[in-house]
Amino acid sequence: MASIARKNLFEDIPRFLVAQAGIMFAVSLVTVQLGILRGFSRSTAIVIDYARADLWVASKEMVAFELTSPLPADYVNKSMAITGVDRAEILLVRAGRWRGADGKLSPARIFGFNPDGELFAGWTLSDGSLQAIKQPYTAIIASGVEKSLGLDENNRTGSIAGLPVTIVGTAEDVQSNASSPFLFSSLETANTYGDAEINSSINCVRQPDGNLNCTNSFKNRPLGQKLGDLASPQPLSLSDPISYILIRAKPGQNLPQLKQRLLAALPETQILTQAEIAAITRNYWEVRTGVGFILGLGATVGFIVGMVVVGQILYASVADHIREFGTLKAMGASNGVIYRIIIEQSLWMAILGYVPSIGICLTLGQWTQMTRGIMILIEPSTAAAVLLLTVVMCMGSAIFAVQKVTRVDPAIVFKA
Amino acid sequence: MTAIDFKRFFAKTTPIAPSPVQAMAKETAIVASHINLVYRNGGEEFNALQDVSLTVKSGEVHLLMGPSGSGKTTLLSILAGLLTPTRGQVNLLGEEITQLSRSRLAAFRLKHLGFVFQGFNLFPALTACENVEVAFHLKGVPQARKHAIELLDQVGLADRCNHRPQDLSGGQKQRVAIARALAGNPQIIMADEPTAALDSQNGHAIITLLRNLAKTSGRTVLIVTHDPRILDVADRVTDLEDGKVVTKAKLG
Repeated sequence: MASIARKNLFEDIPRFLVAQAGIMFAVSLVTVQLGILRGFSRSTAIVIDYARADLWVASKEMVAFELTSPLPADYVNKSMAITGVDRAEILLVRAGRWRGADGKLSPARIFGFNPDGELFAGWTLSDGSLQAIKQPYTAIIASGVEKSLGLDENNRTGSIAGLPVTIVGTAEDVQSNASSPFLFSSLETANTYGDAEINSSINCVRQPDGNLNCTNSFKNRPLGQKLGDLASPQPLSLSDPISYILIRAKPGQNLPQLKQRLLAALPETQILTQAEIAAITRNYWEVRTGVGFILGLGATVGFIVGMVVVGQILYASVADHIREFGTLKAMGASNGVIYRIIIEQSLWMAILGYVPSIGICLTLGQWTQMTRGIMILIEPSTAAAVLLLTVVMCMGSAIFAVQKVTRVDPAIVFKA
Repeated sequence: MTAIDFKRFFAKTTPIAPSPVQAMAKETAIVASHINLVYRNGGEEFNALQDVSLTVKSGEVHLLMGPSGSGKTTLLSILAGLLTPTRGQVNLLGEEITQLSRSRLAAFRLKHLGFVFQGFNLFPALTACENVEVAFHLKGVPQARKHAIELLDQVGLADRCNHRPQDLSGGQKQRVAIARALAGNPQIIMADEPTAALDSQNGHAIITLLRNLAKTSGRTVLIVTHDPRILDVADRVTDLEDGKVVTKAKLG
């Protein structure tokens, strides 16, 4: 049987295109909002996802990956001494103020790790090498942050707290949408950047009456120090604060038992699996900051707007063809036949609106990732969910149209 | 044409006995008994049909005539089961349709009735063949395409199978509508002003075609019209005025 639904849809091509533009707008809105939500959620813990640690030793006060209290560096030695630990590596997470070549300031997140290590840097480099950061005052940046840091192909330098930074590589797909631009350095360089922001000193003199008279002085480092003027960063001492210890268990170890042993040996810590610390971090951003709510609300609004748009289009289409539906009813077609026509029409609209929209959103996602480092994550599951939502949206909208047809008086067919 | 012209015409014909129930026999296709339809608008009542009784025999071409507003289309809607009368019964092919549920009524129409409309009511997005196929598909007839082409051939439009209504003349559209009404071989064809949108030549051709197709297969045709030019194709005429049957006449 000729598909009345499909033929009705394509009867007037300009009108069809206008209608589809409305549906594409709605589908794109939902897809981008969901993609941003998913991309944001994924990006907040993407550095953790790339790591290859079985367990993470974190401060008991840790709230999220980038919001934690320090641990003593000698915990790494204590960790190594625990039965079942194959490897333990230090991770520093520090904040800094990047000053680009143009003199403009930008916040920066600095990660310090051992470039010869095996547990942290699982990401791919689009240029440079991990070994390059063994050179003092060098760093690898996350792709997509160049613009924020004022970098380009000709200018790959800046400074943090007056100390020079030379960019020696770019890591692909590792930037968090919720954070400042990421820089990855050796432990020594990251520690130096982290401590160098302000120099402070306290001078105290005992007064004749026995009281102490203290003076606390703060001083910024001078800007634009040259490499030749600087001493190499100092290796970490056991008293230096660190952020995390990444643990690799020996093969065949019982991880819950190893967690207990680490917990007993390392006071004021929590021992988390990689999945646990990633989940805590994502939950923090999605729930505690309200960002997830806002983005979820955006997706919901997109869905509602989509339903209204599709509903209006379908309703108008049914209104235009009401005499035909009346004719079908007069001829003896059951309501089921007529509902099927409307539902089929809504499904065609859903599919024909969905396919180009997903294409547009994927292209948009690649563009934002490349140019701004902002991830719009459209995984197969997201695409499938949007398809389902689109179908639900269109079918839900069809209810309005079905209501109209249900009320059609078949006697209208006898009116000229 | 005015109502006065009709009366003059009917005055020359023989009135038929007023009780259709008495006249009901095996060969009767349509029997309407004491049909009343009252519209209520606020506190006011309007009698659209008053005690209308009508009998249409099987195989006959019956015209339902009258001036505008006389209630003929309303009566047709009731006879087709599209409108429920306030009082009275309608019996089609021995089935009391005023007692049927909506779904059974729809099934009855699908099986036994074909419709031809003043405005053609073709699906503009479908071709001539597809318009006829729709009726076959609704009735569950297999090989709908083949049957649709055969019917279009019968109405002289086999070569217009793939044309959409917008590419057909008024007369051709009505021929497609007739082909659709004949799909599945219904026993009764109900036509509402089928010539109103056509010029006299096309109008007469359409009515003649409808009559011939009906007569060759013994179908009953009930035509609502106010066009006196088609009187010569009718077996019988019922004239309505102000919602009442004024005259009934057997022609020829």
